[in-house]
Amino acid sequence: MSLTELMSGANLDGYAQVSLLLFLLAFVLVLWRVFSPRFKSTYDKAARMPLDDDTPQTPRTRGE
Amino acid sequence: MSESQSAPAGSAAAARLESFSYDDAIVRKFLFATILWGFVGMLMGVIIAIQMAYPEWNLAPWLTFGRLRPLHTNAVIFAFAGNAIFTGVYYSTQRLLKARMYSDGLSTAHFWGWQLIIVAAAITLPLGYTQAKEYAELEWPIDIAIAVVWVIFGVNFVGTMIKRRERHLYVALWFYLASIITVAILHIFNNLSIPAGPFKSYSIYAGVQDAFMQWWYGHNAVAFFLTTPFLGLMYYFMPKAAEGPVFSYRLSILHFWTLVFMYIWAGPHHLHYTALPEWASTLGMVFSVMLWAPSWGGMINGLLTLRGGWHKVADDPILKFLVIALTGYGMSTFEGPMLSVKAVNSLSHYTDWTIAHVHSGALTWNGFLTFGMIYWLAPRLFQTELYSKKLMNTHFWIATIGVVLYIVSIYSAGVTQGLMWRAFDETGRLQYPDFVETVARLIPMYWVRVVGGTLYLTGVILFAYNILKTWAKRPVAYEVPVVQAPALAKHYIPEPMRPGIDVPATAWGRFVNLTFHRSWERAPVLFAVLTTVAVAVASLFEIIPTFLIKSNVPTIASVKPYTPLELAGRDIYIREGCFNCHSQMIRPLRFETERYGEYSKPGESVYEHPFLWGSRRIGPDLAREGGAKSNLWHLRHFTNPRDVNAKSIMPAYTHIITNDLDFDVIQKRVDAMAMLGVPYGDAVNRAPAMAREQAKAIAADLAATGGGNGFETKEVTALIAYMQRLGRDIQGSGTVAAKPNAAPAPSGGQP
Repeated sequence: MSLTELMSGANLDGYAQVSLLLFLLAFVLVLWRVFSPRFKSTYDKAARMPLDDDTPQTPRTRGE
Repeated sequence: MSESQSAPAGSAAAARLESFSYDDAIVRKFLFATILWGFVGMLMGVIIAIQMAYPEWNLAPWLTFGRLRPLHTNAVIFAFAGNAIFTGVYYSTQRLLKARMYSDGLSTAHFWGWQLIIVAAAITLPLGYTQAKEYAELEWPIDIAIAVVWVIFGVNFVGTMIKRRERHLYVALWFYLASIITVAILHIFNNLSIPAGPFKSYSIYAGVQDAFMQWWYGHNAVAFFLTTPFLGLMYYFMPKAAEGPVFSYRLSILHFWTLVFMYIWAGPHHLHYTALPEWASTLGMVFSVMLWAPSWGGMINGLLTLRGGWHKVADDPILKFLVIALTGYGMSTFEGPMLSVKAVNSLSHYTDWTIAHVHSGALTWNGFLTFGMIYWLAPRLFQTELYSKKLMNTHFWIATIGVVLYIVSIYSAGVTQGLMWRAFDETGRLQYPDFVETVARLIPMYWVRVVGGTLYLTGVILFAYNILKTWAKRPVAYEVPVVQAPALAKHYIPEPMRPGIDVPATAWGRFVNLTFHRSWERAPVLFAVLTTVAVAVASLFEIIPTFLIKSNVPTIASVKPYTPLELAGRDIYIREGCFNCHSQMIRPLRFETERYGEYSKPGESVYEHPFLWGSRRIGPDLAREGGAKSNLWHLRHFTNPRDVNAKSIMPAYTHIITNDLDFDVIQKRVDAMAMLGVPYGDAVNRAPAMAREQAKAIAADLAATGGGNGFETKEVTALIAYMQRLGRDIQGSGTVAAKPNAAPAPSGGQP
């Protein structure tokens, strides 16, 4: 099978390091987004969502 | 965002308030189904626990361990835990989104479709219809039904998200959505098969690839059926029961992303030291060890939700259930990474340690979380007080004692047997060369398990009684409160700048303020598509190389397909669920090769559709069984294992000896295999005739050695033919029915 030969000969071993860097980058971005003090109030509000079944916490986009 | 800014918005929106009500009738239906199937599944568990301690309890062909064990696992996972998930998801999703479910019709179709699938499973599994892949045993027509019902659930869920009235999606919903998507992908790809009859199929994958697909599925079934949906439930019901927000919402987001990123890679740790390429095994181990961190982050997040309220735990059995559930989650997510380390796994694999690990997780995390959730829901759904808080407390203690008895005894059994298998005496020989010695030692622990399991089941009966009594006190007609909320704006409107907090809206400022991310958060469908891509890509990078890179599965020239009769015997082996107790995979470890012979090579499994490597050795490995015993020995062993081996706990298979073999279906089976690329040569045209010839030879040998006459038409002859073939090919003495494999191959295979 030609695809098999192509893949076998492509020498893809180094891609593991590339994916490690990509994963690490994604992780750092999530960390930065989540723990930035800028968004603390947003998250505090979201955390209260299960406690009120009847009233939306963020009903409409702000600014209306 | 500050309150003062949103206050005028509220009054402007008041004119456009929409009225709606939540659909709790569907939640009540799922709640009853959870209790019913929980009872059935755990009753099955107690029955098969007794069968292991007392083999005479295998009363009829359809009540043997090999057929009931899949029924137990499927019932507790997909029927009990499945319905529990749906109960919680249907209750919380509507409230978190401030919207009724997208369609009442789809909700009803989901409910009845799922229950019909469970009934189909409960009928077909005892009849021996199985694909032989753990937790994916159900045959192809039921698999198609599962896919359809799951899509109905997915459409209903995403449809509700689209018409929601709350902008932000609470983190529980992320867990639900990721579970729905991933389970669909796992189910479809693992179950791809070629039908060979209305309730018979062969996996399109073979050997190493099939094993890889199966454990990619199997591990992620644990991850995305028993973990992530229950985490979603925990993030909703824990704050409800504790009457305060989750300890850290930020940690819950981190918990989500790290879990979905890593879980999908962890599957290969189920195949350490097997014929799976070592790089895949190592990759699975590394990701499994990393999973420890987010799992404990999540556990701590859940437990700290009770901060300042620990005194409430003593009075409130619901909180007790939830605390034990989270503690169980913590214990099993510590143990899982530990077991995935190859050195530990070499001891634990194939032993009861795996079973103990599963139960410590399932009985506490899934069981107790479900009990806690339903005790919390029942008074609200039935609009009355809970019948008895005292009974709920009794349930808690009985179940807890049951769990302790179960896991302590089965951990001991696992470690005991693992150590006995690898023990050498001072002369360098196996200390326990007779496998059955290592089984007989476990029987007292198996009885303790029966007691533990019975206590847990008793708890479930009290639970069912308490909930039914609560239901009996319900009002004549349920009140359906009307909720009002404004509709969500159609498009995203950027938020005003907050002076002193936000960076001015230059290009850099938009990036730092994550303005782009705010608009993404409004796009659940995009979120769903991207999650699918992430899961699919991760899976492909791990699995595809075993299909496409030759060095991963070196072929062996002397390995040939099974003869038609051997294939028929293999199908009987599958039907009886022999793979539940016998592995066919010898690891390259000295204590294994001393006991069983040459270790198994990847090239030996290339025609194994599906693979039958097994995951537990309640009986010995059979990978090199061929030629080890006489045909007569096998005949006597199937008639009553205790005639040839007094301490054996294997069921007697007298029905195989009396049943006539169906020679007519063999051709269809061979043709299906040939369609999958197995080089069957002549057998494609004359499979039944070839099978009859081989059966005659075996029957003649049985008659000559004093086994009796007339076996050439019986099922047992096919099964003996299969037994005698196992592992023979690399010894160059296997009986061969087909033309040689055309592929170039190294001789003897590679480690």
